[in-house]
Amino acid sequence: MLEVDERTPPLLVHQGEGFGLERFPLGTRVVYPPESLPELADVDAAIGRALAEPENSEPLRALLRPGMRLTIAFDDLSIPLPPMRRPDIRQRVIEQVLTIAAEAGVDDVVLIVANALHRRMTAAEIERTVGERVFRSFWPDSLYNHDAEDRDNLTHIGLTENGEDVEINRRAAESDLLVYVNVNMVAMDGGHKSVPIGLASYNSLRHHHNSHTMIHSRSFMDHTRSAMHSSAWRMGRLLADHLKIFTVETTVNNASFPSRYAFLMKREWEWSIRDQAMAFGMSRGLAAMPVRPRRKLFQDLVAGYGVTGVHAGETEAVHAKTLANVHRQQLVEVNGQSDVLVVGLPYLGPYNVNSVLNPILAMCLGLGYFFNMYRGRPLVRRGGAMILYHPVTPEFSQLHHPSYVDFFEEVLAESTDPATIETTFEKQYATDPWYTHLYRTSHAYHGVHPFYMWYWGAHAMDHLGDVVWVGGDRAACARMGFRAASTLADALEMVSGTVGRDPSMTYLHSPPHVIADVR
Amino acid sequence: MGLAERLAGKRVLVTGATGFVGEALLERLLSDLPGTGVVVLIRPRAGRSGQARLAGLVAKPAFAPWRERLGADGVEQVLRERVTVLEGDLERIPAIPADVDTVVHCAGEVSFDPPIDTGFATNLGGVQELLRAIRDSGARPHVVHISTAYVAGLRSGHVAEGRLAHTVDWRAEQAAAQRARRAAEDASRAPETLRGFRAEAEGEHIRAGAQTVSREAERRRRRWVERRLVDAGGERARVLGWTDCYTFTKALAERYLETERDGLPLTIMRPSIIESALARPFPGWIEGFKMAEPLILAYGRGELPDFPASPDGIIDIIPVDLVVNAILAAAAAPPPASAPAYYTVCSGFRNPLLFRDLYENVREYFERHPLSKPGRGAVAAAHWRFAGAATVEGQLRRGERFAEIAGRALGYAPRSDRVRQAARDLEQFDERLSFLRRYQDLYRSYTKAELVYVDDATRRLHQALDAGDAERFGFDPACYDWRTYLQEIHFPSVTSTFRGPDKPPAPPRRASHALAGGPDTLAVFDLDGTLVSSTVVESYLWLRLTDQTFAARGRELAQLARALPGYVRAERRDRGHLIRAVYTRYAGADPGELARLVDEVAGDILLRRVKAGAIRRIREHRDAGHRTVLLTGAVEVLTRPLAPLFDEVVATRLAVGADGRCTGRLVSAPLVGDSRAAWLDHYAKRVGADLAASWAYADSQSDLPMLRAVGNPVAVNPDLPLYRVARRSGWPIEQWASTRGEPRAVVGSRHERTIHAAARARDLFGGGAAALSPGGRVRTSRPGVDR
Repeated sequence: MLEVDERTPPLLVHQGEGFGLERFPLGTRVVYPPESLPELADVDAAIGRALAEPENSEPLRALLRPGMRLTIAFDDLSIPLPPMRRPDIRQRVIEQVLTIAAEAGVDDVVLIVANALHRRMTAAEIERTVGERVFRSFWPDSLYNHDAEDRDNLTHIGLTENGEDVEINRRAAESDLLVYVNVNMVAMDGGHKSVPIGLASYNSLRHHHNSHTMIHSRSFMDHTRSAMHSSAWRMGRLLADHLKIFTVETTVNNASFPSRYAFLMKREWEWSIRDQAMAFGMSRGLAAMPVRPRRKLFQDLVAGYGVTGVHAGETEAVHAKTLANVHRQQLVEVNGQSDVLVVGLPYLGPYNVNSVLNPILAMCLGLGYFFNMYRGRPLVRRGGAMILYHPVTPEFSQLHHPSYVDFFEEVLAESTDPATIETTFEKQYATDPWYTHLYRTSHAYHGVHPFYMWYWGAHAMDHLGDVVWVGGDRAACARMGFRAASTLADALEMVSGTVGRDPSMTYLHSPPHVIADVR
Repeated sequence: MGLAERLAGKRVLVTGATGFVGEALLERLLSDLPGTGVVVLIRPRAGRSGQARLAGLVAKPAFAPWRERLGADGVEQVLRERVTVLEGDLERIPAIPADVDTVVHCAGEVSFDPPIDTGFATNLGGVQELLRAIRDSGARPHVVHISTAYVAGLRSGHVAEGRLAHTVDWRAEQAAAQRARRAAEDASRAPETLRGFRAEAEGEHIRAGAQTVSREAERRRRRWVERRLVDAGGERARVLGWTDCYTFTKALAERYLETERDGLPLTIMRPSIIESALARPFPGWIEGFKMAEPLILAYGRGELPDFPASPDGIIDIIPVDLVVNAILAAAAAPPPASAPAYYTVCSGFRNPLLFRDLYENVREYFERHPLSKPGRGAVAAAHWRFAGAATVEGQLRRGERFAEIAGRALGYAPRSDRVRQAARDLEQFDERLSFLRRYQDLYRSYTKAELVYVDDATRRLHQALDAGDAERFGFDPACYDWRTYLQEIHFPSVTSTFRGPDKPPAPPRRASHALAGGPDTLAVFDLDGTLVSSTVVESYLWLRLTDQTFAARGRELAQLARALPGYVRAERRDRGHLIRAVYTRYAGADPGELARLVDEVAGDILLRRVKAGAIRRIREHRDAGHRTVLLTGAVEVLTRPLAPLFDEVVATRLAVGADGRCTGRLVSAPLVGDSRAAWLDHYAKRVGADLAASWAYADSQSDLPMLRAVGNPVAVNPDLPLYRVARRSGWPIEQWASTRGEPRAVVGSRHERTIHAAARARDLFGGGAAALSPGGRVRTSRPGVDR
């Protein structure tokens, strides 16, 4: 936490593929992420220990026997962000699991990417996640993407006490043991969100991915107060009755950028001369760069994440430990809400790895993720204003986000209200044969995915009185029902009708990630 | 005795009642001369009978005050009891009632530069047919012929009313005019002329194929014939001392009436430039645009920087209601059969309007009430310098030369939105130039001829009216003041349609819309350039470069760069040549490997390049139940990612030799140009589709035959020649944006390919079930992992 005074230097604000240095009004509270925690000294040993001495479960070795069906599912490329330098923690866990399985004489092993309705990962992306040797041994027959539209390969497990369909990948459902390997980037991930969501069908997902649950998830980062998580937890408990699940959860520290961009992870007043030169040079240089090389530069960024914890065993027991680790790294105490929340959105969200952050994803990243980075109460008061920095360029990847283009052009042209959109359009997009075809055969997000992105922002849209995008494309912002300003001063002028001339302000200085524990 | 009484009980035949003067005259007859019977000659048109057209006519604004006074029943009663409709035209006038007392002949060719045969047929032939019909009917009416003041021809000074002093033999001229078309047609068919048409058509349209070239050559021939006839009319007129074909033929029509009228009483009315009404049916009433309005508007829009007129020349304008009143007065006062009466209805003698005054009025008006252009705001009024005809002509010439050079230069520019915008701007510039050219040519004679029409006879006719009639039916050109007429009546009326209220910005609209039609409707799409931003050469590179090493890529690109000028030339000549030339490079490729390449990486490049608008449109057609067809010169494997969107995919297939590899030849000739239209025709018959209700989308001139084959052609991001054709034909032109920010890579990810290839190699060399022991696999791969 920092309060801006006369001596505070201009602060770094992410703005898509670039960033600026912004002077904030005096008195602005700046919420910085905590210092990056030290990584585990011996990650492989920690994995071994976790598998051998799991939480609330027999050791992995004891769960394995010859002739059994073993399935290993793992988080897809949406986490961690940016992608982690090699070897990925999932690779290290999977390799140990496979080694133990081999020793136990298990030879029916399948690895599944738990991509839910996300796009299929390409061969190279999978190889990057699981490592060259695992990839070479299993791909493509025994290492593949989950397909939420493959009716023949989905199993309906049953209904929760609330009547929610639980339907997951058939191979996973029919396995004697399902090992799930996750990376718990933020508090939202993991727990029963892994299997019941990652391996689910649309039929099952629709119960918690809708505008109603989203508006009642306060926040996603606190599974005890999230309607979405409650639903997933009900599903997870039902699943646990039918299927033996061995969860391995891992956490990483706050080293979100490579070390040469260390200034991105430091507080501005701690910048060395070199950091200052880098920050100044890059903010100017990036702005002047042509789009394609700039995009390439960002897409090639690899985080130097260090592993801070590995826990294995029964899902809920594991997740409790995992959350403690996440909170240890990310939680910051903040006293009270403010009138205005300012965030700078970076180039990357969970759904545009190796792609472009289109306006809908920008909305989701800002109002879905950043707004929800709280525990207790939102950082901004009810009826307050949120100011986001992002160019909101109406660019879409036709390969990855084909239904987003149409959502933007067709659905948002009719309405921006999540509930209206849900009732009027969701079914049509979710069942559209062309989107389904692209999801199943190409590398496209499912047709319904943009709707989920929009619902993701439902809580924020409901809570906030005003949303202004600094530097945003005016037409694109207007299409989404927001306004755009050219400077922070203009944005403050625009929201003065909602929060007055002298509002209290909080700047959430992220990434790296931070969860505000608002008292 | 008043006018109404003098015309009461009479029956008046009006020709040209749907024209400007005719309509005003009919309104006057119906509303103010209740005792007069009316016969109108109306040509049935567009499936509407003469009676129906009359009903349409009296529903127009000119008749509004009359309709209000009478009510619907009253109107119907008047039409039933007082009006007789003769269905016919000047080529064939049906039997005229024998009791017609007066014939007012308003009908005629209104264009100043008609082809010579048309001009004669309408203006002279029409009068001949009218006299024939009168003779046949047995009636002996008073013929009031509406001519024009400008029959006086190219001369200067005062022109008195009376018989024209010329000795031109109308018989000889008419016969020559009738021969002119045959002569022009014959001349246009001379081999050297035809060769010229074909060469021009080939120069512009060779890419679209032989059918399009021949159609275009024939279009050029017809246009040439028309232009030659127009030219013949204008030149003949000028040689004999008239300004243009219109006044020439009008003058000969007068002479014909004077000599061949069989002793009928004849009155010749010669109005000058007729403009909007002073008072009746209401101030400012005008139908369509006459001679001066386009110029007034062009000035208001800032498109008329100067005009080649002398500022002290007289521009002779007369309000239409004054002309109508004069006609009625003349009709009520038949001259003796032996001596035709001549009345010039004009303002130039007694209330002259100098060109400078007109200009000053126009400028003052637009300075006070400027027109505005969308996005530009109010247009500033230009200050004319009256630099003289030569200077203006010089400027115009330079403009035309520039437009020609720019047009040719644009033809070489690569296709882009900016080039199309430039083409659109140039087209507008060109339109303005030809507008200026047309009016300059038109007015040249009128402004050069410094004539003053003396209207003493008309003045006497006016003075003969009794006091009441002078008030109601007066036509004294000195009765109004130009400033009031122009600025308060005429200009507001002319500019009113351009002064709609500012429209609020349209609310955000969905990009898609529902389409009509059903399963017998086709929607045909071209691939390269239309659905996907790519070319045949690029897609070749996707398939070719990915698997190559860095050095081999360099070699391939160098070779291609050398061949490129040849490809560009081939493209300009015939798209089929280009496709063949590029596809020979596939020689030696393994077709199975090509398919895998598309599935693994090249398909992704294609999908990245797909235009969102294109996919949306295809899907709209599918939603409408149409049969979607992809018709492309691209290789078939490349269409695989998009195939599910189409009911039928027609693409180029590479021939495979005995060794299982591509030979570099094609299985059949590539479908380009005419062959696409032919294929479409055949396909439509096979599946029972209706091409007239079908759609086609394409981006280039070579697709013209395909677009022409369907009822709903759409030009998508068109190249310049197609753009021009589409603009001319009124086809929709759509811009489907390529996805911004996507890498325009021609090479798929080599990394992905290597990974796929390695996995395949494993399957070939000792993969299989035995290798599925996971631990063993991991152990053997990296010994250290077991620690």
